[in-house]
Amino acid sequence: MSSPLKVTPGFAVPFAEGRLPACERLNRELEALFLARESEEYRNPTPSHIPQAEMFESRFNLFRWPESCVQELRAFMLDSVARTVLETSTIAPAELARLRMHNHTWYHITRYAGSFVAHNHPLASWSAVYCVRPGEAPVDRPGSGLLRFLDTRAGAGSYLDAGNRTLRAPFATGAREVRLEAGQVVVFPSYVIHEVSPFYGRDTRITVAANCWFS
Amino acid sequence: MTDQSSPAATLLPIFATPFAEVTLSVSASLNESLNALLTARATEERRDPDRRRDPLCYVSREDLFEWRDEPVAAVRNELLAGLCPVVLATTLHSEAEFDRLAVQARARFVVIRPDGCLPAQSLTLASWCAIYCVKAPSAQTGRADSGVLRLYESRLTGMFADATTWRMRHPFAGGHHLWHPRPGSMAAFPGHLLHEVALNRSAGDIVLLIVRARFENPGQQEVPPW
Repeated sequence: MSSPLKVTPGFAVPFAEGRLPACERLNRELEALFLARESEEYRNPTPSHIPQAEMFESRFNLFRWPESCVQELRAFMLDSVARTVLETSTIAPAELARLRMHNHTWYHITRYAGSFVAHNHPLASWSAVYCVRPGEAPVDRPGSGLLRFLDTRAGAGSYLDAGNRTLRAPFATGAREVRLEAGQVVVFPSYVIHEVSPFYGRDTRITVAANCWFS
Repeated sequence: MTDQSSPAATLLPIFATPFAEVTLSVSASLNESLNALLTARATEERRDPDRRRDPLCYVSREDLFEWRDEPVAAVRNELLAGLCPVVLATTLHSEAEFDRLAVQARARFVVIRPDGCLPAQSLTLASWCAIYCVKAPSAQTGRADSGVLRLYESRLTGMFADATTWRMRHPFAGGHHLWHPRPGSMAAFPGHLLHEVALNRSAGDIVLLIVRARFENPGQQEVPPW
C-alpha cells in the first residue's frame, strides 16, 4: 500500500480580499470629491502608460489629501495591507508597528472603452485596489472592467496534456479575474502583473490604487 | 562618471526573443476574397465555444486550415512559406535539416469590431505563433495603440529599479512590444508569449488569422495531439 502523499502549493502568491462594511456613505463622498477634481491640476503629470481620454489618473499623493473621506479610506486600505503582511510573513504585530509604511496612492475614473495595460509596480512590496464604484456591468459584456492578474508561472501553460490540463485550484494555470464590487479591497504582491480590461459601462468605474513599501 | 581609460566592454542582449514581421505575397484581391469569406462565416456555429462570448470580438474554432476554400488554401501556403524562413533563421538547423522537419499548423480567425479587443492569451502545444492581418483600418490619429498586437514583456523584470534601469535603451529596455497589423503582413513570435489585441478604436473591423505552428523531427512521437 502506498504511503500518504502530501501535495502543497510550492510557489504560492498571496491574495487578500476584504470588504468595508456600510461603505455607501464613504463611497458617495469619495465619488463626489474625485469627480470634482477630475482636472489637469490633479491629473498625474508623468503617466507610465499611453494616456487614454477614457481614463483619468490622479497624482500619486491621494492619501495626503486632508478630506475626512480620504483619510477614512486611507485607514481602511493601509490597515488591509498591514493585516496582509501579518498574515503572510513572520513579522510580529509589535515589529510591524515599529516599521514605517510608505505609500503612493491614486484614483482612476474610467469611462466607456477605458482600460489599463498590463503592468506591475517596481520599488513596492504590496499593492492594493479599492473599489469606490464598479460601474455598470452590461450583461452582454461579461469581460467588462475586470481586474485581471496574470499568472506568475510564465510558460507553465505552454505544454498541456491529459495529465495537467484539468489541474484544480490552486494549481491550475491561467489568469485570475476579479470583478470588483463597491467597498471591496484586494491586496497582492506588487510584482504580480495585472491589467484592467476595457470597461463597457455607460457610467463611471472608480477605483483607488496604492503601492506600499516599508522601512 | 565616465572615464576614457575604462576597459573595453562587450555588451550583448543575452536573452533575446525572436519577433519577425513578414510581408506575404498575398494579392489585395486574394485578401479581399478571404475577408469576404471569413466575414460571411463568422457565425455562431463556427464560434469557438470555449471562449467567453464577446459581441465585439468574434473568435472562430481552430479549424480554418481544414477548410477547402481556395482563398484559405492559398493564404495558408503563403503563411507557412513566410513563417519557415523566420523559424530557420532562429535555429541551428541547416536548411537541409530544416526541410526534413514536418510542420504542423492550426489556425482560427478573429474579427475585432470597433470597441472590441482580444484579451491576453498565449498558445499551448505550439512553438510558434503567427498572426496574419487580413483587414485593418488605417492608423488612427492620436490613438497609438488602437488595435495593435501587444506582446507582453516576457523577461523576468526585477522589482528593483533605479535611475539607470528605468531608462535603458533598446534592446535592453523593458516594456511591451507593439505591432501594428497591416493587411498582407504577418507577425511571428514564440507561442508562449502572452499577447493581446488592444481595443480597436477605429470605425472598421480588424480581421486576423491566428496560427499555432510546430515542427517535428521525422518519426518523433513525443508531441501530444493538439
